[in-house]
Amino acid sequence: MSGPDLVRKQRLRFSRRVLLVGAGEAALFGVLGWRLRQLQILDSSEYRLLSDENRISAQLVAPARGTLYDRFGTRIAENRENLRVIVVPAFSKDLAATLTTLSSIVTVSDADKDRVLRHAKRQSLYLPILVAEGLTWRQFALLNVLAPQLPGMQTDMAQVRTYSHSRSMAHAVGYVGMAAKGEVEGEPVTRLPGFRIGKTGLEKGFDRELRGRPGSISYEVDAHGRVVRELGATPSTPGKDVVLSLDHELQEMVLTRLASQRRASLVALDAVTGAVLIMASTPTFDANEIAFNVDPKRWQELIRDKEDPLNNRAARGLYPPGSTFKVVTALAGLTAGVSNPTEKIICRGGFPFGNHYFHCWRSGGHGPISLHDAIKQSCDVYFYETAHRLGIDRLAVTGRALGLGQTYPCELAGLKGGVMPDTAWKRATLEEPWYPGETISCGIGQGYVLASPLQLAVMTARIATGNAVVPSFSCSNPPRATPAAVLSGIAPEHLQLVRDGMSAVVNEGGGTANGAALTIPGMLMAGKTGTSQTFGRDSKRHPTGWEAEPHSLFIAFAPVEAPRYAVACVVEHGGYGSRAAAPIIHDVMTELLLRDPVAKPVFAAGTEAVAALAPTESGR
Amino acid sequence: MRMLFADAIERPRPELAKKLMLLNWPFVLLITAITGVGVVALYSVAGGSLEPWSSRHVVRYCIGLGLVFTVALIDMRWWMRAAYPFYVVVLIMLAAVPLIGVQSGGAQRWLGFGAYSLQPSEIMKIALVLALARYYQWLPPEKVWRPDAVLPPLLMIGAPTALALAQPDLGTAALFGIVGCGLLFLAGVSWAYFVAAIAGIIMVLPHVWERLHDYQRERVLTFLDPGRDPLGSGYHILQSKIAIGSGGLMGKGFMQGTQAQLNFLPEKHTDFIFTMFSEEMGFLGAVGLLALYLLALMFIIYMALRCRGTFPRLVAAGMGLCLFAYVFINVAMVTGLVPVVGVPLPLVSYGGTSMLTMMVGLGFVLNAHVNRAVRIRREELGVLW
Repeated sequence: MSGPDLVRKQRLRFSRRVLLVGAGEAALFGVLGWRLRQLQILDSSEYRLLSDENRISAQLVAPARGTLYDRFGTRIAENRENLRVIVVPAFSKDLAATLTTLSSIVTVSDADKDRVLRHAKRQSLYLPILVAEGLTWRQFALLNVLAPQLPGMQTDMAQVRTYSHSRSMAHAVGYVGMAAKGEVEGEPVTRLPGFRIGKTGLEKGFDRELRGRPGSISYEVDAHGRVVRELGATPSTPGKDVVLSLDHELQEMVLTRLASQRRASLVALDAVTGAVLIMASTPTFDANEIAFNVDPKRWQELIRDKEDPLNNRAARGLYPPGSTFKVVTALAGLTAGVSNPTEKIICRGGFPFGNHYFHCWRSGGHGPISLHDAIKQSCDVYFYETAHRLGIDRLAVTGRALGLGQTYPCELAGLKGGVMPDTAWKRATLEEPWYPGETISCGIGQGYVLASPLQLAVMTARIATGNAVVPSFSCSNPPRATPAAVLSGIAPEHLQLVRDGMSAVVNEGGGTANGAALTIPGMLMAGKTGTSQTFGRDSKRHPTGWEAEPHSLFIAFAPVEAPRYAVACVVEHGGYGSRAAAPIIHDVMTELLLRDPVAKPVFAAGTEAVAALAPTESGR
Repeated sequence: MRMLFADAIERPRPELAKKLMLLNWPFVLLITAITGVGVVALYSVAGGSLEPWSSRHVVRYCIGLGLVFTVALIDMRWWMRAAYPFYVVVLIMLAAVPLIGVQSGGAQRWLGFGAYSLQPSEIMKIALVLALARYYQWLPPEKVWRPDAVLPPLLMIGAPTALALAQPDLGTAALFGIVGCGLLFLAGVSWAYFVAAIAGIIMVLPHVWERLHDYQRERVLTFLDPGRDPLGSGYHILQSKIAIGSGGLMGKGFMQGTQAQLNFLPEKHTDFIFTMFSEEMGFLGAVGLLALYLLALMFIIYMALRCRGTFPRLVAAGMGLCLFAYVFINVAMVTGLVPVVGVPLPLVSYGGTSMLTMMVGLGFVLNAHVNRAVRIRREELGVLW
């Protein structure tokens, strides 16, 4: 056989076979068609019956959110029963009429009615829609009795988050809310009507632990969507309970103390472990108003409020630290070896640099002054000189070692990092070189330096104990009873010199906060005042009245011999540090030392967990 | 001189514009229509929402369409040379899955590449068709019947089939078998081999049964009698049949399918999408969709018939077999004709790898169509390169 012949034969054979395969494919499609005819035409009525009478519906079951306790076991955030009425449009013949009937029992606003009707039109008729929640038991019982006259309506019990001490704890604990679109990806449970996740503060930071895992129930439902029987259920795993390091009584007391101020905040830490004991910010708001059905008008009010009550100033408010920062400059000078405790710098009431003259707060000057006295009397010139010798980069290294200019890996959502400037920072953010004159004002905590009260408290704790303290809000997971690691790169004897200076501020005559000395016998507190200039920063207009006053700051730790508590307080436009902030810390520190919360045993969540589970279980 | 002559006659290289003209545009329209059905069905599955599936399905189709044109317009000779290396690479990936693969849904079928993961078994179907077509392009026609010429393609089919069985993935193994053997048949292998093979399978079957995993046996047993365990492993088949059956002639209407909308099927947007579609669109809709697929298959057979070269016509017909096997196994599965094996419905089921491989396969069909007039001299090809 010749080549071309063979090729032609091969092609013919391919044509034959490909047609055969095509015929086979068509025939098998015929089989599928025959099968569909059998299912959908011949046996259709039987299957329709099965489908109508025996529908199986699987539903996700929302997990109960974990409870938040304060360090001694007071419930801060827990779940309350939320009685609701929902509607499945597919089972309601005339949805609008049913809603009207319903409104004789439960108040259904026109806006709610519109929302339900709009959703019913847009989505599958079998997806349940929330009509109203927060029903009373009376309404709930009435609805269940009247169910036959309300086709498609179903009552159910969900859970709603409630906060005790909802005003004093609002900023630290935060609140829950419905997940915004795209906020939580790939978690079907967040699409359940009414499911809420942590939106701010610790509710957000601990969301993973608190949320739990959803379960599911499969029901057999009849043609009206009523449950015939439960077929099987995978129980949901409730979220873990979390014991916070905060003490709500102290928190309450501090907020009462701060109430006389317009805007102020205070943070108290266990200086050894970093556990946050108090985080207070005023003005505050009521978390219960927001977590459950926030009234849009009230929400607008809160957002637009000039005093910004939603803002947690303790963690998110950034202020020039002012003279409180001098402890950083002092420590940096000692560490770098540019100053020593015996050297005296002469203060003539100012520091000329280039064609600018930097003033000391005491216009007459302090004369020759040592490190110890410079801290005690808050001499500006001493620290101008020290900062000038250091340069900004060496100053920034110590500032960062003490916790400034950074956020911490802790559970509170929304921390602000503040600014600890250096040459690289300025080049990166402002695209300008660093001018040596800017170092001078940074030396006394003005200029670009910005810190939050939380950062100031961390800085104080680090100085007080020499530990690399990181703030933490949890007492349960992991247990934070152990002291933090020791700060590296800072000599203990240098820290002691700074601590001595801080002690003199409060306890020696002539110290800037001598009036704030503790009255408890045998107890000494150490601290540093700060008065930070604010005008000229934010607005060109020269402020008047209250706004013209500088911010009042004070940081402190106690007891001096064995530091345990570190506190930082900022009173916006409160005047001198010694005037507003220092007396507040005096009161708070006194209370802290008398109660001594870190010495008492911490609440263990497990002990009460079983009892706590029972009501939530029935609540579902 | 002779070389010049041969080049001029044997190697026509059409311009890009000319090649675009040669594409089968009605066929492109047809697969777009089938994908459109998928987009609508996914919209309904999501409860009347473009998110999360419908919109992404459209995006993937558009990417897929880009692949179709790329594959179709690249020179066929290049693909011919790439066939064996491609096959070997995919085979290595397939073998690597049990070692470094990613677990998903109880079975390890995915390879992760950073944020992406892909299923080598999907790509293997294309690689297998290309490699077999490449083999028969090289094999002189007079040798096709010889046993020693049948052995290499059998090994080429056997290797991935065995790997798929080891994973264990029955559906994919069946697909490899069907596509591979179908291609041997198209290439002209004698009837006698097929008769012998069927006899052999009947003899081997009892031994295979013994080596099956418990869950696989359970699937087969439940398939034979779904009533055995209506809330357990027979659940899917039974619920799927109820859904399809209750759709009736006209269906329950768009977005009105009670069975699907009440969340009784876990995979209603992937493997069981035909169930939901049939429930809502009824017998007419279901048969209409099948008719679209059949039309596409007939198009492919027509294109294969018009090819002059062995490689293009086997590639076209082989990809057609792939498409057929997917559709048939999926629909037979959801209607309770074959066990649940986890095969998607091409172009309609939601899934990235499945969509993209199907589009690449269709790209090869169009490549064959563009090159339908090209004849390849056997001497152009070496054994392997």
